Amino acid sequence: MANRDKLVRFLLARGAGDAAEDLAHDVWLKVAGRADGPIGNPLAYLYRAADTLMIDRYRARRQAEARDQAWSDRHAQEQPAADRSVAARQEAGEVAALLTTLGSRREAVFRRVRIDGAAQREVAAELGVSLSTVESDLRIASRALADLKERLR
Amino acid sequence: MNDDSTPLDDEAFGWALRMEGPDADWDAFTLWLEHDASRSERYDRAVAALHDFTADVAALSPVTVPASDLIAANDDMPARRYTRRWIGGALAAVLAGAIGLGVWTETPRPYAVETAPGEQRIVALADGSSIVLAGGSKVRLDHNAPRVAMVERGEMLFRIRHDAAHPFAVGVGDLTLVDLGTVFDVKTDAQRTRVSVAEGAVMIDPDGAALPLDPGQAVVAEGDSLRRLAVEPGDVGAWQEGRLAFDGVPLDEVAADLSRQLGQPVRAAPAVARRTFRGTLDVQALKRRPALLGQLLDVTVRQDADGWTLEPHP
Repeated sequence: MANRDKLVRFLLARGAGDAAEDLAHDVWLKVAGRADGPIGNPLAYLYRAADTLMIDRYRARRQAEARDQAWSDRHAQEQPAADRSVAARQEAGEVAALLTTLGSRREAVFRRVRIDGAAQREVAAELGVSLSTVESDLRIASRALADLKERLR
Repeated sequence: MNDDSTPLDDEAFGWALRMEGPDADWDAFTLWLEHDASRSERYDRAVAALHDFTADVAALSPVTVPASDLIAANDDMPARRYTRRWIGGALAAVLAGAIGLGVWTETPRPYAVETAPGEQRIVALADGSSIVLAGGSKVRLDHNAPRVAMVERGEMLFRIRHDAAHPFAVGVGDLTLVDLGTVFDVKTDAQRTRVSVAEGAVMIDPDGAALPLDPGQAVVAEGDSLRRLAVEPGDVGAWQEGRLAFDGVPLDEVAADLSRQLGQPVRAAPAVARRTFRGTLDVQALKRRPALLGQLLDVTVRQDADGWTLEPHP
């Protein structure tokens, strides 16, 4: 089936390697088996499911690595609770400060799109700006937040 | 894998943002990926980063808290305000983290556990944690989000197996708390919510006030103020053994506790509701000798068909 081939190709491109065929099969079964399955665009749904699967696998791998790292590092003792909470508080403060520097429109765009899940077109209309402004606001805000997180790590 | 050292790139970010939308172009994305085998991982990293800091922002109130306030929260007993809007976002973020991005693989499977007044129940969770429910209590849980609990009403003692990567989050009324390895008690009624820590630590309102609570500390949320106070760690959850310890607790709250533990309604008349009580009540003894309650609380206990009412002495 053509969709199946597309899915395998996508999974290969997403780094599934030898597992691509099996994963495509799994995705296929899971999506097909859903009672509230896709009606509009089944292919987009399959792609989305496959992409989500790969994202989850990546996260699982990263978590396992982080655990191994902590295990092999003899000095990686549990941080005292107080230190952790101070760090979390500081981080929240830094994120808040960054949002202030970005300006209220970029913050609003980021929140509406990323947290409320509003369509970019919709947000552009709400704020009376062009779609490309919303796109660039989103990129700039994300980039700045990513840089901040890297720095705090 | 040393990809932590390479900076995140704009190109991968652009794709991560675009592919989330409803009109994502999967063919174009596939072509971009196929161009270079390293792109898939760059994309994964961008998605993971995006997800992480979106949760951070979601957890923040749109009203930014001055840094001085955050520091003050660490001092003793500041009755401080917190914003209700934080809570939904914070818990949503925790839920999103617990469920991950696998929306289609892990649909919520919510369930609730409830007790009748006078009853006690232990809920064993999949990760080895447990919750002991006092009578007249209700908690909402989710099989697919095992590290989240919503306290609907009543009182319960949490014994949480700590996992730094997956903190256990409890939502109660407008308040969120996150365990830092812990045995703690949560109690809520229409007036106030009380969280007391016996072991480990808990962080209250992790994304707002971020009040850390150590063993022997409790916090009372009433209206939109948070008050911290000291408790006897050994008294936390003592209701499990039929012992109710109070340290300056208003009589309406004492009455609510008694209702749950005795399995019959106890009310405090408005005239005595705000009077405080300090001491320990033995549930079994009170069941045998209800008159004892009046002496201990220094009130008159009127018994009728509706239960017991605590009233001022005539």
